[in-house]
Amino acid sequence: MTTASEDLVHGLRRYDLWGRIAFMEIKRRYRRTVIGPFWSTVSLAILIAIMGTVGTGLWKQHPSEYIPFLASGMMVWLMISTMITESCSLFINSQHLFSRIRMDYSILAYALMWRNLLGFFHNLAIYLLVVVIFVPGLFNVSILWIFPGLLVIALNSVWVALLLGTACVRFRDVQQLIITILQISLFVTPVFWPPQLLTGMTKYLFVDFNPLSSFIDVIRAPLLGKSPMLSSYAIILAVTVLGWLATFHLFSRFRKRIAFWV
Amino acid sequence: MDSVGLDFPIYGMQRSIRRALFHNAAGGFIKKDLQHRYVTVTALSGVTFQLNDGDRLGLIGHNGAGKSSLLKVLAGVYHPTRGQVLVDGKITSLFELALGVDSDDTGYETVVTAGMLLGMTQAEIESKIPEIERFSELGEYLSLPVRTYSMGMTTRLGFSLATVLEPEILLIDEGIGAGDARFTERASKRLHELAKQSAIMVLASHTDDLIRSICNKAALLNSGRIIRIGPVDEILSDYHSEKARLEAQPAAE
Repeated sequence: MTTASEDLVHGLRRYDLWGRIAFMEIKRRYRRTVIGPFWSTVSLAILIAIMGTVGTGLWKQHPSEYIPFLASGMMVWLMISTMITESCSLFINSQHLFSRIRMDYSILAYALMWRNLLGFFHNLAIYLLVVVIFVPGLFNVSILWIFPGLLVIALNSVWVALLLGTACVRFRDVQQLIITILQISLFVTPVFWPPQLLTGMTKYLFVDFNPLSSFIDVIRAPLLGKSPMLSSYAIILAVTVLGWLATFHLFSRFRKRIAFWV
Repeated sequence: MDSVGLDFPIYGMQRSIRRALFHNAAGGFIKKDLQHRYVTVTALSGVTFQLNDGDRLGLIGHNGAGKSSLLKVLAGVYHPTRGQVLVDGKITSLFELALGVDSDDTGYETVVTAGMLLGMTQAEIESKIPEIERFSELGEYLSLPVRTYSMGMTTRLGFSLATVLEPEILLIDEGIGAGDARFTERASKRLHELAKQSAIMVLASHTDDLIRSICNKAALLNSGRIIRIGPVDEILSDYHSEKARLEAQPAAE
């Protein structure tokens, strides 16, 4: 019988398998539709067109600044929130696999991470295209910051998937709780509204010390031609370490029970 | 396997965080409730045996006797609640033959994903595709989504995949039977070949002939315990006399 660390390492080594699982899921979204995963891009585009108009007026922003800000922020938000939502059903939806054969549970978490990164690249491609056409001056060398940004998001999505996946398979209420929290988080995280509008205590609370805000910053800043804030990486580092410690502890303890809980 | 036991917790309506929180808060007081927090079903208890190279074990027992649970513990799907399992070798388990990945995937796609789930690399499984095409005789259907297949065709696909594996320890739960007569015959032939290739095999089946022709050992299970383990013919006759005895006095208990 394997241990939790063996599960994580062996699972990681089966990148061919989790790559395939993720790829097949993206492929299924293309099946029988013309644009497949780009439907999420379409709905995002409509949202940005409408929210962009409202937000420009509401916060007195210049459209050429506000629209890219909103678009890049929403793209990252969409990826992060989808990762979190899907984490809740990680084991519940895959029981047909691991109740029939022995498999490393971490494979499912890696597949979730990879699938969502692939989904993000769909939106990213459209974003880059639109920006290059309309605001070509927006990009500079700081776009390269996107790579460490995606890396830390990938790193964190795996523990989130394992932690929430395990918690939700045992307590089905957690899923509903997470969805509720996510819905509220969208409004208190600077996605729609520019962070510089807040001052004082509220700024500390919702911008500076909001981990979601940090995760968005590390991708959004490079997409807007800026470098991410150092404080974002500091917060992410803390979240990564704490998250992995907690997850590893719980995963070691409860991994063997997952098959019984589904 | 050393005195292996397996308890399934059965969570019903209580499977909510509220209960767990409540118990943590009030655990000291409601001891009785704490112990009966959920119903457990003992699927296996005190199962001990050892298999060596060349052993072909047939598991016999009526429905619910623990055959499938035992196989799943051997496969590593379930970690035993008590005791321990020591396995030396690569295990391949064929339970539900068609590992339903997604019914929208084509036959080819399903075979590749399922093969990879069973531990092969993509290149390995792709090199076996001609063999799978030949054995399954599904022809053009392999390019169609699996959801368009009939029951028998799904079995054929699943079994074809099983045939290209090179297992060291092979675990099989029922499986063959569906499919037309000709395919069943070929499947059974292939199963014998597989049994020869693998070092150890454990087969759960209700088909006496299959167990007789493949296995050199049998274990009779009842209520999660191994009643007897020994030569195939003796165990099978035990099983049938037991069954006859039960059928003769149905109303007694």
